[in-house]
Amino acid sequence: MSYVTIDQVTKSYDNQVVLENISLTLKKGEFATLLGQSGCGKSTLLRSIAGLEGVNVGSILIDGKDITNLSPRQREVGMVFQSYALFPNMNVFDNIAYGLKMKKVKNIKSRVNKMIELVDLIGKEESYPHQLSGGQQQRVALARALVMEPKVLLLDEPLSALDAKIRKSLQKELKRIQKELDITTIFVTHDQEEAMTMSDRIFVMNKGKVVQSGAPSEIYTTPANTFVAKFIGNYNVYSMEVFHKLVRSSELKGDEVAIRPEVLQLVSPGEDCPDLQENWGIKGVIKDVTMTGNVLRYEVEADDSYFHVDYLHHRGLMFEQGSRVQIIVPKKECIVL
Amino acid sequence: MRKIKKQKIYLLALLLPFIIFVIGFEIGPLVAMIKNSFYADDGITVTINQYITIFKSKFYLSGIKNSLIISLVSAVISVTVAVIAAYSFTKFSSKIQNRLLMIANMTSNFEGIPLSFSYIILLGNNGLFTLLFAQLGWDLFADFNLYSWTGLILVYVYFQIPLAVMLIYPSYQGIKKQWKEASSLLGGSKASFWFRIGIPVLLPSIVGTFTILFANAMGAYATAYALVGSNYNLMSLQIASLVASDVTLKPQLGSALGVLLASTMILAMWFNERMMRRIRRDLR
Ligand SMILES: Nc1ncnc2c1ncn2[C@@H]1O[C@H](COP(=O)(O)OP(=O)(O)OP(=O)(O)O)[C@@H](O)[C@H]1O
Ligand SMILES: [Mg+2]
Repeated sequence: MSYVTIDQVTKSYDNQVVLENISLTLKKGEFATLLGQSGCGKSTLLRSIAGLEGVNVGSILIDGKDITNLSPRQREVGMVFQSYALFPNMNVFDNIAYGLKMKKVKNIKSRVNKMIELVDLIGKEESYPHQLSGGQQQRVALARALVMEPKVLLLDEPLSALDAKIRKSLQKELKRIQKELDITTIFVTHDQEEAMTMSDRIFVMNKGKVVQSGAPSEIYTTPANTFVAKFIGNYNVYSMEVFHKLVRSSELKGDEVAIRPEVLQLVSPGEDCPDLQENWGIKGVIKDVTMTGNVLRYEVEADDSYFHVDYLHHRGLMFEQGSRVQIIVPKKECIVL
Repeated sequence: MRKIKKQKIYLLALLLPFIIFVIGFEIGPLVAMIKNSFYADDGITVTINQYITIFKSKFYLSGIKNSLIISLVSAVISVTVAVIAAYSFTKFSSKIQNRLLMIANMTSNFEGIPLSFSYIILLGNNGLFTLLFAQLGWDLFADFNLYSWTGLILVYVYFQIPLAVMLIYPSYQGIKKQWKEASSLLGGSKASFWFRIGIPVLLPSIVGTFTILFANAMGAYATAYALVGSNYNLMSLQIASLVASDVTLKPQLGSALGVLLASTMILAMWFNERMMRRIRRDLR
């Protein structure tokens, strides 16, 4: 039984189609991520769910209720903006209490205090937004949305303005809170790593369409098309014609081949290629080595094509720039697109 | 180290014309005025009698009262109108916004004698509209007298509104669209947004503008003089007649009045600032 349903939603801004026939469903309590490049329509989709933008075609349902034509205040969704959008003239307590005051509910004080505890801001009740760090401001924004007990929580790149370390810790915390409250969440990001670590399900978007959806591991290991392969996993992608030449075999059939950089291995050209039944060997030259933290990435040129090969850093540098190598390509890791 | 010092000297040298200007045209006259106000009419004896004269005289006290009333009323009306007008400006395209600002800019400079004469020509006893309306038999304006309090306030408001619009308009740019969106998602209506967030955020600018308008009206002289001559009892007209009339020159008394005028402005500024801090507690 789906809790959130987006049914064939289309939206355009003066002749430019921004969302094209988008359909997706979420289960209750699911943490879903909209992942895609800048300008692909993630924010527009989120704002359409919130009611801040109207849609041209299609419908949006939450908990079985059609909310397509309701105003934002009637939708029972909470939203956290990238820029936090805290009210500058109110302190932390009043920011969080705002929605409850609008609803004229009772025991505002205890509900707000519970939220302040949940987002770990005890002692900051009287502070004003300009006296808080970016991470603290984001927690206030989160608490302000959560205190309303919304049916769906929408997060538009809530962590992208923060530095890497705080970002990592807030990712964890966000996930903890989401699990604790079991709240259905739609999270927007253009960072694939962030999407992988946080989500139950990822919807990859490109040019206003959802091009693939699934669990993070599913999307990572079996990309549905070239766009996803390149965007999610930094896959090496080759046209079939080129690939046939490289491996001197036309065993694979299809348009393109995608290979993850971490399944490739490098050996010295003198060494024999292990098990020719299961691998291909390609001769090449190391063009460049880069180190991104714990990963060593070799860029290998072979017949005018380039291969990225990733190794964990603990082995140290095995090949210098300019050395000749053999790339071992496991056949079963080649994904035909 | 030495280099920095040298640079500082250059910068100070550049500031010199400004410093000379401030001392020569602002601080100098102010000090002279305060000093003058503590002398008797002979200009030799030091005394506080000038102030006592003012506070004992019905004539001067009513002048102060009149000036305060007209300044407060015209400032309140102008600020209220300007807050709404500036908001509606923001709803136009940026091209039209620029045009509107240009008009506001021009009209805010239209004050003093030319403005008064324009009003006299249009709405005076033999003014264009007055006669036209009489001909048409509309008695809508039959009771209207330009040379009265209402007339004076009308003229003041006329030159205050454009100034207020120009001063308040920029602060609307500081109101973020996402505050409105967040408010509406949290169940707030448009009214509650403006009441709880919009107006409080604009408040420093509204208060600042109010203070400027108040001071502007307190000090306005030429407009009032051209319209009502010395028939009306306003502080600025009283000071003018004490320091520049051909009958009774009493510059010391004029100075004392001047000091009181300046004091009301400072008092207004202080009061406004305090009221604002009570509402905007986030501002230190
Ligand atoms: N109000 C608007 N008027 C016209 N075009 C718009 C408007 N808002 C968004 N667009 C266009 O819609 C497209 C999608 O925008 P959107 O903000 O949804 O992208 P996004 O995926 O959130 O990108 P980012 O990662 O940069 O935030 C863009 O091409 C943008 O130019
Ligand atoms: Mg966006």
